[in-house]
Amino acid sequence: MSAVSVESLPELESAEVVAQRRRKRSIALGAFVVLATLALVMSHEVPSWLDLNIQTKAQQAYKWTIIHRQSAPIFTHFFQPLTDFLQWLYDMGMHVLEFLRWPGVVAMAGAIGWRTGGVRAGIGAAAAMLGVGMVADWNLAMITLDIMLVSVLIALVLGIPLGIWTARSDRAERVIRVLLDTAQVMPIFVYFSPVQVFFGIKVPPAIIVTVIYALPPAVRLTNHGLRNVPVVLNEVGESFGANARQQLFKVQLPVARRAILLGLNQVIMMAFGVVVLASLLGTGDLGQVVLNGLQKQKVGDAAAAGLGIVLLAISLDRMSTGERSHKFSRLGAAMPAVPRRVANGVAVVAVVLAVVVGQALNATAFPAWLTVDVASPIDSFVTWVQDTFRHQTQATSDFLVTYIIEPIENLLQWLPWFVVVVAVSFIGFVSKGWRLATGVGLCLFLIAALGTIPGGDGRVLLWDLAMATLSQVLVAIVLSVVIALPLGMISGRSDRFERFLRPFLDIAQVLPAFVYLIPVVFLFGVGRSAGVVACVIYAVPPCIRLTSLGMREVPHAPREAATSFGATGQQEMRMVQLPLARKSILLGINQTLMMVLATVIIAALVGAGGLGLVAYEATAKPNIKLGQGVAGGLAIVLLAIMLDRVTQAWGTSKQGGNQ
Amino acid sequence: MRTSGTKRVLFAGVAIASLLAACGSDDTSGGGSGACTTKGDAIKLAANPWTGSAVNAAVAKRVIECNLGTPVEIVEIDENATWVGMDDGSIDAVLEIWPSGHAADKATYIEEKKSVVDLGLLGPSAKIGWYVPKFVVDEHPELATFEGFKDPELAKLFATAESGDLGQFTMGDPSYVTYDEQIIANLELPLKYVVAGSEAALLTSIDKAFADKTPILLQFWQPHWKQSKVELVEVKLPEVTQACTDSAASADGGYACDYPVDELYKAASAGLETKNAAAFALLSKLQLTTDQQNEVAAMVDGEGKTADEAAAAWADANKDVWSAWLG
Repeated sequence: MSAVSVESLPELESAEVVAQRRRKRSIALGAFVVLATLALVMSHEVPSWLDLNIQTKAQQAYKWTIIHRQSAPIFTHFFQPLTDFLQWLYDMGMHVLEFLRWPGVVAMAGAIGWRTGGVRAGIGAAAAMLGVGMVADWNLAMITLDIMLVSVLIALVLGIPLGIWTARSDRAERVIRVLLDTAQVMPIFVYFSPVQVFFGIKVPPAIIVTVIYALPPAVRLTNHGLRNVPVVLNEVGESFGANARQQLFKVQLPVARRAILLGLNQVIMMAFGVVVLASLLGTGDLGQVVLNGLQKQKVGDAAAAGLGIVLLAISLDRMSTGERSHKFSRLGAAMPAVPRRVANGVAVVAVVLAVVVGQALNATAFPAWLTVDVASPIDSFVTWVQDTFRHQTQATSDFLVTYIIEPIENLLQWLPWFVVVVAVSFIGFVSKGWRLATGVGLCLFLIAALGTIPGGDGRVLLWDLAMATLSQVLVAIVLSVVIALPLGMISGRSDRFERFLRPFLDIAQVLPAFVYLIPVVFLFGVGRSAGVVACVIYAVPPCIRLTSLGMREVPHAPREAATSFGATGQQEMRMVQLPLARKSILLGINQTLMMVLATVIIAALVGAGGLGLVAYEATAKPNIKLGQGVAGGLAIVLLAIMLDRVTQAWGTSKQGGNQ
Repeated sequence: MRTSGTKRVLFAGVAIASLLAACGSDDTSGGGSGACTTKGDAIKLAANPWTGSAVNAAVAKRVIECNLGTPVEIVEIDENATWVGMDDGSIDAVLEIWPSGHAADKATYIEEKKSVVDLGLLGPSAKIGWYVPKFVVDEHPELATFEGFKDPELAKLFATAESGDLGQFTMGDPSYVTYDEQIIANLELPLKYVVAGSEAALLTSIDKAFADKTPILLQFWQPHWKQSKVELVEVKLPEVTQACTDSAASADGGYACDYPVDELYKAASAGLETKNAAAFALLSKLQLTTDQQNEVAAMVDGEGKTADEAAAAWADANKDVWSAWLG
């Protein structure tokens, strides 16, 4: 083990590296002066020959699909059968859930949680499932659960093999990473209308939308886990004569298990993030209750349904924690070891018993005496918060807009587009090299080539909207990281704190943004700062989680070594654990970035405008504005890829390794 | 290893349970109070997310189920998805379309592809316009018409951090039709157009304005349940002219007058007539006045009844209205 940790310690910087960095800095400084001059003389307009006409093409493709969706072979032979298959999966799931009745579902949750994650996980899973019925409509919750189960299943079936493939081939990783970034960041509203014409309405398109959104973490974390398998272990496997297949299944996958399980957890969380949007398609589930509550401004009703969604997610999460919590469960350790066979038997008998009781009592509906009114207390709480804090929050919001967001936006929009392209390319060059410089330059160049959209008394450049969004995104990222990093570090070192934080993270990540839309607007007013707040709420949890995971993944040996050399707890954290956890923490920051960009669309629903609004219009008026929406969505994706690659390069260049 | 073993055992358990319960009876009838017995293929009616739409669908459901004996399924769904549903027949009809927002859908699905058919007017008409709270007009009567907003000092009353020195004009959900940007530009008003992004954000802005007695200028419309909760006054805009109508059709950016009145209409999937001619005929004849729709809506929004309960109560008391739809 010690060999491993030495290998991953940061290399010492050689004199050559330092000199090279100095050279790069002086080039950058020179470039800055040139750019500043250019900025003053160049015109602001993007030339019209640059327009790729993506908007018109997308609009035409959508129209063609509408006209031919019942006749073209690709629909009759591919999309229709696929749609039917998804519906079939859903129907099967519904038969099982209806057969189990609520006692059976609760018992099943408990049994699975217990047998895969220990007593604590079992109790948690069952209690959360029971809680779903207590706070929300059980039957609607089962529709949501069914859609989630089918989507998570499909995401895993597709995601884990893709993750394995990307772990083994760098080229595959590069290509798939772009696709995953697109899937994660492309606003759902952009493909919402196209998905309808391909898969109809109600359940099948809802599953598709959910899978697209939930797939990336399955691939990413499988890949991350496999790539972090210590080289020594692979060598040990090889020396024992394991073939590639044995190596994968007996060494790599088991070692990567924790990361893959975290992937499963994130798949579930992401999937649940789409519930409310999916109900716009007519699924008639808990998400619909949230939407109805929003429509009638009944925050309590929406929050109760939202809480039901959260509890459902928590229940599934506890069923999927695997050994993660088992290992740390004190309760489990204190109990005498029950033979596995006996325990399995007990679990099965409990489920069967619950089903029999449910059937005997004909328990089709969740009993009314078990339900709790959470809507009214939430309503009073929200009203109290709004009345108590809105003047301070509004003042903060005004400050943020006037003195931070607006000046950054003005600066970015004032700069001629070409100057921004060159400047960012230069940042790319300094961070890593020519290849990155070309990549990020191309991203920005493509944004400039997306054309204009009608607005006001003329046309607005998508570029300008992209700069508006970029300014908000930068502010949101900085705020998120400032909040998340310290919390993640503490939770990486304290089991108790992690446990305490976990339900809040679950809620922040899964509670549909639609639930807090109304309070956010009430507190911060319609506009860009409300948008930034919405992004931050959503982006903080994954950053905390991955920071914490990174801290925990650090092998014990180097930490113990540091302690034995007399390092204090704080020194050990700062000089050993943090540097070793850097890769995971960077992944966390990277995910924060992706989350912020993925939430740009929600920000648009509270008045942030920019690209999010353009993308939303693809759903709002698909017959006129789908093309614009696609262009807006592409611009968001391009911004995301650009920011992502640059920040990742900072991660590697700090280590002193130049490629 | 362990998990797969566990799963096997669990599945075995489910299988045993299913054998044990094979005699368990299924009850499928949704026995609400006074529901009528039905059989056959369900008619699927869309209910879009506002009370009026839900009320129309519930009334139609009640009348069809109790008089034609055909079951009706209500699908709560987004407006745009409704058109796709009617296109492939997974939705049979929708009873309240606001024409101003769906000209392009009408052109594509009704006129070009002919997969959706126009079922005629529903009855009520709607109107979009500019609104300010009554307390604003009480203090500044000039602001009852657009002329008042030409005064930069008065417009500035509506300024926010987002609008800077200009007054803020707030627009809600971008899926609703809007000429506001053009109106502002063409009438040269010192206002900044800000999109709140969603109806919920718009409604919350109204609440916040009333809570703090701060002025707000927004796009809003009749009928809307919020109109009975807060006192809003419509700002007078220039009369609708032919030039405006032409400008809207050609999208030349020259729109500079009030919004036209929206005559709400119904539409059905082209396949409905063959699927169920009687239901098709009934839905074609179905009409409600604004008062009738409001009466049912009030039972839902005011008394907290479900749409189904309200529709049943209304139908029981208004046999003469709906019997005309049957003939």
